[in-house]
Amino acid sequence: MEQAKKTIPVILDGDPGHDDAIAWVLAKASPRLDIRACTSVCGNQTIEKTTYNALRICTLIGNHAPFGVGRPRPLVAQPIIAPTVHGKSGLDGPDLPEPDFEPCGLDAPALMAKVIEESDEPVTLVPTGPLTNVAALLLTRPDLKAKIDRISLMGGGIAYGNWTPAAEFNILVDPEAAKIVFESGIPITMAGLDVTEKALVFPEDFNRIRAVGNKVAQVVADWLEFFYGFHRSLGYPGAPVHDAVAVAALIKPELMTTRDLFVQVETAGDFCKGTTVGDWYGVTGQAPNATCILDIDRQGFVDLLVEAVKAYD
Amino acid sequence: MTDVKRIPLWLDCDPGVDDAMAMALMLALPPYEVKGISAVAGNVELSKTFQNARNLAAFFGHKDVPVYAGADRPLFREPRTAYFVHGENGLGNVALPASDAPVEQLPAWDALYEAAKAAAGELVLVAIGPLTNVALALMKHGSLGKLLKRIVIMGGSASWGNATPAAEANIFCDPEAASTVFQCGVPIVMCGLDMTLKAVMSPAELDRMGELNPTAKFLRDAAQHGLAYSQAHGIDGMALHDPTAVLYPLYSELFSGEEAGVAVETKGTVTYGKTVTDLYSDKQFPFKNALVLLDVDREKLILRVGEILSRY
Repeated sequence: MEQAKKTIPVILDGDPGHDDAIAWVLAKASPRLDIRACTSVCGNQTIEKTTYNALRICTLIGNHAPFGVGRPRPLVAQPIIAPTVHGKSGLDGPDLPEPDFEPCGLDAPALMAKVIEESDEPVTLVPTGPLTNVAALLLTRPDLKAKIDRISLMGGGIAYGNWTPAAEFNILVDPEAAKIVFESGIPITMAGLDVTEKALVFPEDFNRIRAVGNKVAQVVADWLEFFYGFHRSLGYPGAPVHDAVAVAALIKPELMTTRDLFVQVETAGDFCKGTTVGDWYGVTGQAPNATCILDIDRQGFVDLLVEAVKAYD
Repeated sequence: MTDVKRIPLWLDCDPGVDDAMAMALMLALPPYEVKGISAVAGNVELSKTFQNARNLAAFFGHKDVPVYAGADRPLFREPRTAYFVHGENGLGNVALPASDAPVEQLPAWDALYEAAKAAAGELVLVAIGPLTNVALALMKHGSLGKLLKRIVIMGGSASWGNATPAAEANIFCDPEAASTVFQCGVPIVMCGLDMTLKAVMSPAELDRMGELNPTAKFLRDAAQHGLAYSQAHGIDGMALHDPTAVLYPLYSELFSGEEAGVAVETKGTVTYGKTVTDLYSDKQFPFKNALVLLDVDREKLILRVGEILSRY
């Protein structure tokens, strides 16, 4: 049945990052997704490090779609990095192959524009880092909005944050970019903390993935081990693989419980900069601009990851 | 009875339909020693909240409880009323006889301070309107923060707002005042929307309550105006926002919550007036300043309300 469904052309945009890496492993393994390009953005680490990590991940999974490098800083805000979560390299843990290909030479927003322009059908963007590249694309090529089918993003939280009490990391890093994306009118699927902190992969699941046996399975299990280390110290019973939810929502939407909401992004404030505010009680009367994922079939999600690594046999 | 220690209580309010029910409950509970009531601009203007508070106290048989007028506008922002819920007169357009109690001349913030001093650290302040009066009292009287035992607030939300997507109505009416109060050092109990929107009295329950006696009938009648608004917004009944705050000091076992750090956003564009809590976030504030109530035993609460009102 899966094969009978139409494939979705996607551009993966991330700041890898362990959970970005697993999101890309999942995307490449799925026959439903046709990866047209990959782009890097600064976030979890500097643009040099996220780019290097992204190229190594692509090499590992045999993904040689055109690659575009993002700008070294958010649109307006000062950069923030997350070495406590992802380590000094931004992707600490297992050894990875050195990149076996080069970026295409176009900057990330330019590559996105080219791919969208040349595509026969609308393209879906999957940003799993700060929304800097996507906003730069929308600001410079508003004419292409109609050819963007959907933006399935990891970011925000309609009720709370993680990097501050009110704001989630990806949105906090570039709130102005996020505001542009949420106000773009393009359909948005938001995998925020509301769901991604429920997308937990438990230590026993790591073993299931490792037991698949191939090289990618070993690496994914090692990434999960590393990523879990930070979260275990916060009391999580497993690794919340945030970014993979934005990909899983495209491959297997039936795993998700969603609610359409009007979501605004706070770009100011003493405590709320980078907060995604969902109009839960409908007080604005505004039409929803985002399909917010609120819950996930955790077991189904883990099964999907296990199936994905099997594709690399 | 004489050996039971009564709880000295002060109510700051903006009646307000649910404020009226809160007052009715408070004044029918002998364990409360009500030291005073202060009115603030909020649901409707101060001239109306003050008159309503006076008239309600008299209607509930307590002309002896002094009622004081406080701030007629928020500290900084423009006033914001809620006629759509509370009606033109603030009491669902149901008229009350005018109280002939003497009109108190002391401003609310001075009267509250005097009561706190007299109660020697035991006074519990229940604030169920915008926090302007409380903030002004704290600003004018530096020692007030050490004199109050606890402040029970109806306001805020650990998740979503009802005035804006981010902000609850009482806090949104005066975010700067709320910020002052949350930072004052007095232990705070936050009766926010997380809990109060679970404390909903159904229309049928409201009707049954109205059969009890003339006092309960008045409260039922006053609630009708707001009921239509609530139902249009997906709440089938009357959320007992303010009554929960008044009942908390005596019936804390009906409620559950968690200690949290709470900060009020006063600079945001879409988050102005949001009570930011660290309940669910990896990142915690370096302080815990409030017990944020998250749940209530609704059935027991409704029973308790009926039982108390039946004393009239």
